[in-house]
Amino acid sequence: MIHICNVPRYQAPSAEELAEMRKHHVLLRSFDYERTPIMRGYTDKILTIDVGEKSAEIADIPAEVKEKFVGGKGYCLRYLWDAVNPQTRWDSPENEIVMSPGPIAGITQYGGTGKTLICTISPLTDIPIDSNVGGFFGPYLKFAGFDALEIKGKSEKDVIVVIDATKGTISFEEAPLEHFDAHVLCEELTALYADDENDKKNIAVAAAGSGADHANIGMLNFSFYDPRRGVTRLKQAGRGGIGRVFRNKKIKALVCKIDGVKANLNNAYDFGLINKTGLKFHREVANNDTKQNDMRGVGTAYSLRTLADYDIVPTHNFKFGDAPGIDEMTAAVFKSDWLTQGAADGCWYGCSMACAKASDHFLLKTGPYKGQRVCVDGPEYESAAGLGPSCGIYNPQEVLEINFYCDTYGLDTISYGTMTAFLMECYERGILNKERTGGLDLTWGNAADDLEMMHQIARGEGFGLIAGLGIHKQKEYFAKMGWGDINEMNDFGMEQKGLEYSEYSAKESLAQQGGYGLTNKGPQHDEAWLIFMDQVNNQIPTFEDKAEALYFYPMFRTWFGLMGLCKLPWNDIVPADNALTDDPKMVPEHVENYLNLYYAMTGNKLDVDGMIRQSERVYNFQRIFNIRMGKGLRANDAIPYRSAGPVFEDEYLWREERYDTQLVELAGYTEEQVKNMSLQERMAATRKYREAQYQTLIDAVYPKRGWTLGGVPTVEHLKELGMDLPELLEVVEPLLAEEGA
Amino acid sequence: MKLNNREYKGFREGLTVQDVIRENSFTWPKLVVKLNRKVIWPEEYENTVIEETDDLEVIHLLGGG
Amino acid sequence: MKRLEKNEALCVGCHQCELACAKAYYKVEDPAFACIRVEDGWDDAGEYRSTIHICNQCGKCSEVCNTCVIQPNAKGVYMIKKKECVGCLMCVGFCPEQVMVQSDERTEPSKCIACGICVKVCPTGALSLVDD
Repeated sequence: MIHICNVPRYQAPSAEELAEMRKHHVLLRSFDYERTPIMRGYTDKILTIDVGEKSAEIADIPAEVKEKFVGGKGYCLRYLWDAVNPQTRWDSPENEIVMSPGPIAGITQYGGTGKTLICTISPLTDIPIDSNVGGFFGPYLKFAGFDALEIKGKSEKDVIVVIDATKGTISFEEAPLEHFDAHVLCEELTALYADDENDKKNIAVAAAGSGADHANIGMLNFSFYDPRRGVTRLKQAGRGGIGRVFRNKKIKALVCKIDGVKANLNNAYDFGLINKTGLKFHREVANNDTKQNDMRGVGTAYSLRTLADYDIVPTHNFKFGDAPGIDEMTAAVFKSDWLTQGAADGCWYGCSMACAKASDHFLLKTGPYKGQRVCVDGPEYESAAGLGPSCGIYNPQEVLEINFYCDTYGLDTISYGTMTAFLMECYERGILNKERTGGLDLTWGNAADDLEMMHQIARGEGFGLIAGLGIHKQKEYFAKMGWGDINEMNDFGMEQKGLEYSEYSAKESLAQQGGYGLTNKGPQHDEAWLIFMDQVNNQIPTFEDKAEALYFYPMFRTWFGLMGLCKLPWNDIVPADNALTDDPKMVPEHVENYLNLYYAMTGNKLDVDGMIRQSERVYNFQRIFNIRMGKGLRANDAIPYRSAGPVFEDEYLWREERYDTQLVELAGYTEEQVKNMSLQERMAATRKYREAQYQTLIDAVYPKRGWTLGGVPTVEHLKELGMDLPELLEVVEPLLAEEGA
Repeated sequence: MKLNNREYKGFREGLTVQDVIRENSFTWPKLVVKLNRKVIWPEEYENTVIEETDDLEVIHLLGGG
Repeated sequence: MKRLEKNEALCVGCHQCELACAKAYYKVEDPAFACIRVEDGWDDAGEYRSTIHICNQCGKCSEVCNTCVIQPNAKGVYMIKKKECVGCLMCVGFCPEQVMVQSDERTEPSKCIACGICVKVCPTGALSLVDD
């Protein structure tokens, strides 16, 4: 076991190197601004930056926008809508990256209160993506006077944008000597803009990495300075290629500098209630966490071993679910051999859940930083499962190394893992071979060539350019080259709407198939995680129940993204007496906490219905935004068969008894019939049954959400939500007329 | 006996809550167990014997947000 | 290391220590604002007795602080650098003895600095300052 007290501090970049970098900085343009103080969680200002024009403008956020869109993801989508048109693609100059922390973000007394939401038109999906991220930048942006930041235009040369709240300036600078990879770049910029060592915690950096220059799966890192280790650490806005857009605009980094964080910079309506609620939460974590999930010990990777017991861990590209080698990388192994214990690992102040674990002074074995010792964040469950078992890799050292390079190169671990698993299955099936990969041996479990592929992405060469496309475009390319059959690849390529699946195998949970398929941004579990409720607990047995869950949870969980909150403290820790409540799975006391935090911040009372209403406005807005961009209808909610059932023979045979039994118990065949059916016939019957189930599920969910069977929000529903905005009606009305609704 | 609203095939005399959890590999760290709607705490799993007419719920609480 | 020590056998449950501490640092005679806590009640043996909770400078507050603003001074007494404190209250929540103080009037919590005010007012000598 490695304890934080035995971890030496990291070396800061040398003063000479920094001086040289500083000497080469060129100030292109600078603006003075007056910082708007925060009142009850809001500044009601948005900062618009055009990196092409090198201009900065500050505007008021109108009261109607605040009322209907609340903050966070709501603001991001509202301003993105106004900036783009149906023809806008990810690399159009008018495409924006919009980020907003939300009204509760920036408090320091409760776990998970430093989240920022980011939206852009995605290079993977061509529709709006939303991704949330911890770290300092979002809260600091608000402390600097802005509820939201929108970035548009394209710079010709690499540029950094510095928001300095201590001086009241916004400046565009060239910083040519700094590295491009995030772990070094963020360290360098933190050191360069801090007044001294103690001031480093007042610097926030947002940066992608060299991989994001070439890969559609590029993501954006947000830094947070760890004063105990003396190192700048990273959290990721991973999903959907935001980093790719960031680099396409030639932004090298964003820097925000503030005077310092204090307890009530948000100027809450009732500061005492925030203290009380936060303190109660900290005590609960202190007393219960070691008995529950041990988030402070291992972070979200606690669930790796146990999810394999339920056939949920994606194994060999979601073909199987039991991750047979998982004993080599259980939470216990990470805890005893890799992750530093006893550290206050929150990605924002006051997060006692502290799940941002780190492997310290990790020795890299490959790539440009080979031989160096670095701080590796995580791995979180999604990263570990996707980079590990899904690709047949069970070696913690290899998983950590892949995780590290994903982060510093600015690549989304989820997309990278799911995509690599797809490529490995293509390799297994002969769709790819060494000739086609330029010599890469993409056999299951070959971490060395997996890493080499990633280094090629970062260098923008060889097969790395194909790897960087993401599964959707890879399928098209392989089919065009005559390497593989598009229908077969559509079955096992784990993407929908262009986005790679996150890391839960949903085959035995119809509700989770919907939880992935009926999402706005693409198959990410952040809208609804229903596997246990459905598959194990059997709490939502009917279509009606599942539909209700697929209405309620996406709305409930969207709310976190409006506020700037992390969802983990909702249910990764529960009060000791939670079992005695009416609805333990909702963790009623925590829901009450959130309503209290909202009231304490804004002075406005809210109940659960009000929460759902706030979310529903934004959720339907996003759905219509998708429709406007050409991907928001029923056809776009179809899922790859791999996520619903066994595609190939060995996949069926792996759980033959289960599938055979289901043909009898669920699909209406007799035992005699099943006995006489060939394997192919049983597979076909299973597929027919499961695909029909998914369609029936959609038929139940859409009306529940106030949509037609074609997936279009109805005018009545929009009116009821107060969202019958002319620009929305303009999109839906022709479609509704076509459908005769 | 019912487990999570489904007939439990593995019922036998003397079956305990702990047996059911073990046999089904319910290794998830946050379980809420109810026998005929009454909460059974972890320290009681081993000694709680299930009757043939009982209704056992082993509710897995979500994690991961 | 300088720290407070207790001898519960001598405690009569007068709560003078709590009141003196709260008065000295928060200007109120309210035990909720004291960095020492005395609990009175019946024990398992059926005796009415007082339990004293004091800060023994264990350093848990420092360990859970992700701003690193709680550090021991030369005497081993953990001190909060108020200027740098973000008021997250994790130290208050994780204190094993629950003897840190949070007040809505201030943006930072406070803890026992082994000043000895409570020792001086204790009529029975149940509290003492040691330096070992």
